[in-house]
Amino acid sequence: MAFPAKYPSLNAMEMTDEAKQTLIRVLRVAFPHADFPDGPYLRTAEKILIAADEETWFRVALIQGLLSLDQLSDGDFCGLDDDSALKVLRRVESTEFFGFVRRTAVLNLYDDVEVWETLGYEGPSFDKGGYINRGFDDLDWLPEPRIVYPEDEPLPELGDGVMGVRSGSAAGDDSTNQPAPQSVEMGEVKK
Amino acid sequence: MTAENIGRGASAEAGHSVTGFSIDPDEEAVVIVGSGAGGGTLAYELTAKGIPVVVLEAGPYLHNEDYVNNEWEAFNQMAWLDPRTTTGSWRIARDFPNLPAWIVKAVGGTTTHWSGATPRFKAHEFKARSVYGRIDGANLLDWPITLEEMAPYYDRAEKAMGSTHVHGRKPLPANNNYKVFAGGAKEVGYKFYATGPYATNAEEYDGRPASIQDGFNFQGDKNKSKWSTLVRELPRAADTGLLDLRPESQAVQITHNADGRADAVLYLDKDGNLHRQAAKIVCVAGNSIETPRLLLLSGTPSFPDGLANSSGHVGRNYMRHLTGTVWGHFDKPVRMYRGETMAGVIADESIHDPDRGFSGGYYMETISLGPAFMASFVEPGGWGPDFAALLDRYLNTAGMWIVGEDMPQESNRVTLNTTVKDTNGLPVPNVHYDDHANDLAMREHAYAAGQRVYEAVGAQTSHHTPPYPSTHNLGTARMSERPEDGVVDKWGRTHDVKNLFISDGSVFTTGAAANPTLTIVALAIRQAEYIAEALRTQEI
Repeated sequence: MAFPAKYPSLNAMEMTDEAKQTLIRVLRVAFPHADFPDGPYLRTAEKILIAADEETWFRVALIQGLLSLDQLSDGDFCGLDDDSALKVLRRVESTEFFGFVRRTAVLNLYDDVEVWETLGYEGPSFDKGGYINRGFDDLDWLPEPRIVYPEDEPLPELGDGVMGVRSGSAAGDDSTNQPAPQSVEMGEVKK
Repeated sequence: MTAENIGRGASAEAGHSVTGFSIDPDEEAVVIVGSGAGGGTLAYELTAKGIPVVVLEAGPYLHNEDYVNNEWEAFNQMAWLDPRTTTGSWRIARDFPNLPAWIVKAVGGTTTHWSGATPRFKAHEFKARSVYGRIDGANLLDWPITLEEMAPYYDRAEKAMGSTHVHGRKPLPANNNYKVFAGGAKEVGYKFYATGPYATNAEEYDGRPASIQDGFNFQGDKNKSKWSTLVRELPRAADTGLLDLRPESQAVQITHNADGRADAVLYLDKDGNLHRQAAKIVCVAGNSIETPRLLLLSGTPSFPDGLANSSGHVGRNYMRHLTGTVWGHFDKPVRMYRGETMAGVIADESIHDPDRGFSGGYYMETISLGPAFMASFVEPGGWGPDFAALLDRYLNTAGMWIVGEDMPQESNRVTLNTTVKDTNGLPVPNVHYDDHANDLAMREHAYAAGQRVYEAVGAQTSHHTPPYPSTHNLGTARMSERPEDGVVDKWGRTHDVKNLFISDGSVFTTGAAANPTLTIVALAIRQAEYIAEALRTQEI
């Protein structure tokens, strides 16, 4: 599958269906979600192929990478069980190929309506009136919390570890980098 | 033209006003670079006082109805995606090397995707050097202003932004994520937890409706319940008839005359054509990466290290807040994505208490991501069964963000990367950042504290997520009493160029623990008074 770059046919090369299946398997192993249907993985693989099509370097990396997976798997990456396949991916983790696949997958796999539904995310909400009447506060397994600060206590400012403003120490210790304070209002420091 | 319609229609030429009011390019105007928290506020405050302004905004005019309830689509629509580079030992340089910051490039700036939390600074946070003492490697300095001086401007900013919990504004109700967060806070003995202050309407206020709890904040609020300069300051400034707003107009240089006064701003329109707007005052509010970049791009023989940079501090002391995220996984559903994303804060750890082993403090605030962003950010570079399990628990996950004070360091710095150019051929900004030992100690403390909160209400597992690309970018043109210690004075006016102001978070002398937007707005309101008075007395 990988030809030396001097072959002009390289630029015309298209991914085989087998390569696409291998890519889908890579995605399933790298981002293993038992509840995800096949659709998102398939769509993500297609996005990766489109991205590779747009950039020669990615295409070269992808072709070479998929070939390497088979080489590291006694010829058949797709035949490996999950654990063995994960080990193979760990061995190629730092390659250009895997970086490209991972990056593109993260951007696309989780930006998929079917994935959102599976994870329990509802997507756009403005057109449905937001959640003001659709459960923005429907969590019922904790008590209703207070929503304002305590009325009788001011917000804290300084902790017990502050013994006082260190004005004296800095007085003879002036520099442009950390000039000594010119004036310090001790009165504002409270415990 | 009514405020509702500004920016609509194809009538405006590239690089020209979209409001129906325009100032001649040769007329010396008050020119504001940026239309976010600082620039947008300044534009409103000045026009309300009868002072016409030109606002140059690098991004397009997006309207609330343009926003999309989809994380990546919205990101690609709103985020500042111009190339940037990173160096340093921070994880961002490894995980997101070309995205040091997650900010917005559009009219309204980053206020159009901010979360909404509006805590004030504490008194001692304006005096970090005095109160924390000398910390090796940190470039601490007291602010030249105090909380007392800022208090009236904080009041005005909170009223403008409609912060809940203060000035009679109703608090937001508890959403699912908050119930877990607050329940845990109570169990571990924290006292100061609440659903705000938070600049999103719990009930109709200021002509804008109550939140419908749609869960989309970082994607822009289609409902207009969340404050931004897009929904409040810019349309009101347009209504005065004195706002000349030019979207897709990126400032690339501030020029000066022989006397060292800023006299014009050069900017590129969307087609790459260069324009010049004459200026009597220039106010830069491009966020803490673009602001120093613009000053550095404006170097001349008179200002060889960049405009207003005699101190050498332009671009230095870059701060980005501590940040980190703790996720708790439960055996029951949480559905954290329903409701206002960050309407929950625990303030107990925001104190300064050296007994914890670090200086400064941090807030814990609720946060939620959808599955798409969760996958990209929860464990950058992650894959495999453990990674998949983090996503499988999505429904039962609660989340909190840690936002704490990071130490200013001279070597944490925005510079021009002359080996990488943007589409206009200009050097891109490089952002260098190393975590300070104090930052690392605080982050560890915060991760452990956050985990305890969730474990107290039954979390079976939890996960610590490293910092996202920076949303709080601060300090690169810091405020100082003495010209040699920083870039601007207590009014945000540069020490070196008397008619040049910095009007964004770049002026922060230190970062404090608080989310910065409220303070940026308060400083801009205060600066507008100063500029108006200086114009009236012809002092500038």
